[in-house]
Amino acid sequence: MAIRVVLADDHDLVRTCIHTLLASHGIEVVSEVGDGRALLREVREHEPDIALVDVSMPLLDGIEATRRIAKSSTTTRVVILTMHPDAHLARLARRAGAYGYVTKDETSDRLVETIERVVAGEQCISLGDPIEDVLTTREHEILQLIAEGKRNQEIAEIISRSVHTVRNHRARLMRKLGARSASELVRSAEEQGLLRWPM
Amino acid sequence: MPIRVALVDDHCLIRDALSDLIASRGEVDVVAVGGDGAEAVRIASEDRPDVLLLDIALPDGSGLELIDRILASSPATRVLMLSMHSDPAYAVTARKRGASGLISKSAPIEDLLDAIRDVASGDTIPAVDELAKRERQMLTLIAQGATNDEIASALHLRPKTVETYSQQLMTKLSVHTRAGLVGCARRMQL
Repeated sequence: MAIRVVLADDHDLVRTCIHTLLASHGIEVVSEVGDGRALLREVREHEPDIALVDVSMPLLDGIEATRRIAKSSTTTRVVILTMHPDAHLARLARRAGAYGYVTKDETSDRLVETIERVVAGEQCISLGDPIEDVLTTREHEILQLIAEGKRNQEIAEIISRSVHTVRNHRARLMRKLGARSASELVRSAEEQGLLRWPM
Repeated sequence: MPIRVALVDDHCLIRDALSDLIASRGEVDVVAVGGDGAEAVRIASEDRPDVLLLDIALPDGSGLELIDRILASSPATRVLMLSMHSDPAYAVTARKRGASGLISKSAPIEDLLDAIRDVASGDTIPAVDELAKRERQMLTLIAQGATNDEIASALHLRPKTVETYSQQLMTKLSVHTRAGLVGCARRMQL
C-alpha cells in the first residue's frame, strides 16, 4: 500500500512541487495545508503515515505542531522539511518528536528515502548536545500569535483558552524577555532567535 | 514554438520538481537549470533563454544583484524573479533593476505559468501595493521601538499624522496591533 502523507508548507508553489515529486515516487499526498493549525486538523482527520512539515508556518510553527502530533497520534510520524540546514533546529525537532529532518537543498531521492525509513520505524535525526528551552510550549505558541498581530481575544479563541489565561502567559513572556510592551516583546524575541515562523 | 525557460534556485528539491512541473505543460521547454548566481550568469550567456526564472535568495548573493549582468549578456532574456517573501518592496526593486516581474512562492503554479507566458510575450508584471516611502520609514521606526511622539519628531510630522499612518499600515499589512507591525517589519527584513 502506498505511503500516505499530509503535506504542510505555507508556500503554494513549494507545496505543489513537493506534492508532484512525492506522487512521482508513488507516495500519496492525502492533504495539503498552509498553516500549523490546519495541519493538526488534517492529521486527525486522515491519520497519515507521515506528516511532512515545514518549520516556518503561520498560526503555529512546525516544531510546536510536531510536538502535538507526536503526543496525540500513534499512527503519524513527523518528517520536517525546511530551508534551514540547522543542527540546533534539527535537535529541537527531534525533541519535539520528529523522526526525520530534510532540507530543501537535498535531493528528492534523499527525501523519499527518509520518508521510507521513518515509515519503517527508524529515527533519522541524531541527537546532539542537550539544549535548554527558554520558553514553554504554550509561551512559544502565544508569542507567535502576538507577533502575528493577534489580539488577546483572538489568541484566546485560537488556542481555546480564556482571555485571562492569555493575559497571564503574555505577562510571563514579557517578564522572561524583559519587555514592557508587546512590540518590545516581539523585538526582543526576534533578537534572541525565539521566532521560528515564516521566513 | 515552446518558450525556452531556464530556472535558477539553490534548493535542489524545488528546482527539480518545478522544472518538471513547468515542462509538463508543453508550452515550455526547460533548457537549463542552475543552483547559484554564477550559474545564472553563465546560463544567460550560453543558453540565451527566453525567460530566466531566478530565485532572489541564492547562496552566493542576491538574485537582484545579477539582473544587470544577465541582461547585459543576453538582452532578449526576460528575467522573472521568484521569492519566498511576500514583501512588495522586492517586486519594486526587481522591476527597477530591469526584471520583468516577481512571483511569490506563495502563488499557485498557474500564476507562475501565466507570468512566464506574459513576460515571454514582452509584458511586465507590475509591482502592486508598494508601501509608500513614508510608511516604510515609519514601520522601520516602529520596529525599533519608537513611540508615536518620537516618530513624529524624527520625521517632522504631527503625532496625529503619525497615528493616521500607523493605522494605514495596519490596514495594508492586515494586522490589528502595533506588535503585529513589529512582526511584519521583521518578515520584511526592515
